[in-house]
Amino acid sequence: MIRIALGLFFLVPLLCQAQLGPVTAFSDGAQKTSLDVRPEFFVLDWKKGTVLDIVETPMTIMVDSVGTQKINLLQNKKREPVLYSSNIVTPVCADGDCKLMHITLYWTLLGDYAGFDRSVKEPLTKHDHDEFLYADYWKLHELLQDHNSILKRRRIDELVTRPKPSEMEGVDALSGATVKEVKESVVSGALYSCYVAWHLVHGKIKEELRAYTVARQNQDMLLRMLNSANTNYQMYALENLGEEGYEAHFPRITELFRSGIPLVRSFIIKNLADAFARSPSIMQPFWEALPHIDINTRSLLLQHIDSAPDATVTAISTQLGVLTKNQLIQFLSHLEDRKSVSGEIWENLRRFAASSKEKNAYIVVQFLEDHS
Amino acid sequence: MKHVLTFVCIVFSSFCLLAQDLLIEAESFDNPGGWVVDPQFVEQMGSPYLNAHGMGQPVENASTRVSFKKSGTYHVWVRTMNWVPGEWEAPGRFQLKVGQTVLDTVLGTRSGWGWQYAGQVKIGKKQALAIELQDLTGFNGRCDAIYFSTKKGAPPSSLKKLAAWRQAVTAEPNAPEEVKAYDLVVVGGGLAGCAASIAAAEQGLKVALIHDRPVLGGNASEEIRVHTEGIYGNFERILKKIDTKHYPNGSAEAKLDQQKRDNNVKSYDNIDLFLNWRAYDAVSENNSIQYVDARQTMTGERKRFIAPYFVDSTGDGWIGFWAGAEFSYGRESVDTYGEYWEEHGELWSPKEADNAVMGSSVLWGSTDTDSPQSFPEVPWALPVAKDYAEINGEWQWEFSRNDLSQIDDAEEIRDHMLRAIYGSFYNAKKDPANKNRKLEWVSYLVGKRESRRLVGDHIFTFNDAKQGRKFPDGVVMEKRAVDVHYQTVLEDEKNPDFISEALFYRAPKYYIPYRSLYSKNIRNLFMAGRNFSCSHAGLGGPRVMLTTGQMGAAVGYAASLCKKYEVMPRDIYTAYLDEYLNLIEEQKYEKIPPSKK
Repeated sequence: MIRIALGLFFLVPLLCQAQLGPVTAFSDGAQKTSLDVRPEFFVLDWKKGTVLDIVETPMTIMVDSVGTQKINLLQNKKREPVLYSSNIVTPVCADGDCKLMHITLYWTLLGDYAGFDRSVKEPLTKHDHDEFLYADYWKLHELLQDHNSILKRRRIDELVTRPKPSEMEGVDALSGATVKEVKESVVSGALYSCYVAWHLVHGKIKEELRAYTVARQNQDMLLRMLNSANTNYQMYALENLGEEGYEAHFPRITELFRSGIPLVRSFIIKNLADAFARSPSIMQPFWEALPHIDINTRSLLLQHIDSAPDATVTAISTQLGVLTKNQLIQFLSHLEDRKSVSGEIWENLRRFAASSKEKNAYIVVQFLEDHS
Repeated sequence: MKHVLTFVCIVFSSFCLLAQDLLIEAESFDNPGGWVVDPQFVEQMGSPYLNAHGMGQPVENASTRVSFKKSGTYHVWVRTMNWVPGEWEAPGRFQLKVGQTVLDTVLGTRSGWGWQYAGQVKIGKKQALAIELQDLTGFNGRCDAIYFSTKKGAPPSSLKKLAAWRQAVTAEPNAPEEVKAYDLVVVGGGLAGCAASIAAAEQGLKVALIHDRPVLGGNASEEIRVHTEGIYGNFERILKKIDTKHYPNGSAEAKLDQQKRDNNVKSYDNIDLFLNWRAYDAVSENNSIQYVDARQTMTGERKRFIAPYFVDSTGDGWIGFWAGAEFSYGRESVDTYGEYWEEHGELWSPKEADNAVMGSSVLWGSTDTDSPQSFPEVPWALPVAKDYAEINGEWQWEFSRNDLSQIDDAEEIRDHMLRAIYGSFYNAKKDPANKNRKLEWVSYLVGKRESRRLVGDHIFTFNDAKQGRKFPDGVVMEKRAVDVHYQTVLEDEKNPDFISEALFYRAPKYYIPYRSLYSKNIRNLFMAGRNFSCSHAGLGGPRVMLTTGQMGAAVGYAASLCKKYEVMPRDIYTAYLDEYLNLIEEQKYEKIPPSKK
């Protein structure tokens, strides 16, 4: 009881501060009008010499039940939007013990987590009042990058005490896995700070930021996203470029097909499905990527094998070792349907069938037997 | 008539040729020893088989005795498969012992299911011989059948030819000779099938429950060990007879609930329980199923089940598939049902339809002991596990890939998970902290989340859940978050391909209409379980077992009204809905016996 009372005693002034903004000079960045150094913990690329002007937006972020902080837009010298940020001061309470957390948060134009800056004057602390070490900040950074963290679907009280089964909303999941997952993902001794920070970053503000960007979206912005290394930017650009955009920026799209994550690659190939039959020669870079891409995308690519030029089919017959069993069966089925199969392809098949190193050689052996 | 005679001659001729041949189905061995009967992949590879599932410790010999009618030198073939071909010794190696002779050939080393030549043996006249399978590795060597022949010609490998050859060798007639008649035939004894059987039996129906395992419960059984999730809805009384406690997935506590479930289902006199029986065909005429054929997984005995109504609770929708029911598989395009969720975009619902689905899990666990425990080298597992190290598996151990069908490639999926498990445990054992740790339990059964979805009069979608849409026939209800899984490797190729992530949508309480529980085009077919009528994203919420159990109970009661009025499942919605809803309401509580009133 005494602890609760003490907690309230400390909490009330903190809430007032949070509502009115910090009384003390905050975070080393509160008075800044521009950002000229890469945020200390950051997920996006940052070119040397970048200077971003900080401009206010009408948006605010609710930091606790009563307090809000302003959201700023960071734009480059061409006045192109680059990031959103907010200087956060919010109370973090555990067992009636409340402290202020100072942190500057950054979001991408799509409302995803982009990074944070810590306050040199007001470092984050753990439950036992020890200050965060660099490794702790790094772990917080990793946690905040996980948009689907276990913290998303749990109340804080569920995380500190083992929930009763009836309270669980889990997947097929239960506490054993949950407890372990929480332990592994948060900074030891700083569950509350982590929880508060995660929910600030991934709360309702995400949708607002995205909507704010979408309302100001233009072709230049899409192109910058397309050329970004950020996966969500790439996906957003690919979703919004339109057919003409795909044609105009084909080299970048083929590059992304090779270098992107599987999700991006799959999306590209589904969007270009018609092009395989319409313009087979243009699609050659995609076929050349076949040995280098993930299995799922390769399956999507092989759906277009009937439209592939002869030279491509021959080339694939030299790469059978990268195909999965079902992909190999699909390729052989394509050969069965062809009017003619070149001697070179038959030779490649025989070589593959004779190899003791190829785990799927037996499938080609059977195929050759059936067609001998 | 001429055709019939020709056929008889061919069959007769086959017998003549095969007179000195002997086919032994491994699953029919008198004593399987430490080998387990694995009937999961019959539709893909042709038969149940014996699997040396020893978690790295060679299992005890499987043995049987056979009598040869004629003496002579016999060639011996064993139908087997090297389940991880590659630049290493095959993981599942074994040898064959005939009488006192161990044949030199190491088996389990051929790629793909087929006949491996084991050598030749001399057999004395009318000699009864012991045949044994000697496991060499404990890593899932597999033996489907052994064939002795005085002629040196391997049996056919192709699945179609093999089936006909088997039928000829065993002189098996086309149709099962024994025919059993019921009011309701339920195929699949998971939670949905159990609940359907109980509900129908309580209403006086004579029920056959056909299940291909020795125990009931499917994913909730002690063999797979997923706990039941969801709410009881209208059917708490029934579902509490068959549910599980909320133990961690993979927990041995599943055994306690197993006993409860089996005992409760067996307590109904009018449920004929066919454990270890696997359905292999369903035939419909005029869009109505006439019968289901099933085979005992060990003896090969067959029965035909006829009934006016059938429940497909197989999970994979086999009954519907064989009978010609409309079905779907994979993810619909986002526009098909408007299941867009901006936050997760393509991961949730793709722009273009594809055949990606939620994956299957194989649960496992290890235990600490008082002394150092060794674990064999597993080079064949490491290409899958890579450097991932773990000592237990949970629901996130899940595998799906778009070139693999959860039905047709289930064996490859299971085997991929076994490689992930053995490889990850091997890696974990390198840590001195795990030196006393040993594998305690690894399932060899695939715990599936998604496969065929049979199409009903209503297709339940994510939007039905999201909006908490109420239906006049909303007999199943759920408040669990809708969660759809995806493989984390889609976001980062460095991730292991056997680990998934769940995307949650917190929906209000939602309802599944009765119209999603019977087939659109097969008039007398109900479905309950993950193969009910839904979209891919729609399945995300109600795929857990208390919800599928609700579906089962709901169709069990509907079947009783079908029988009462001699109508089809659709008619219950169109003409008897009030009575159906009343029946569901009334069944919630045990009736007070007249003597106690």
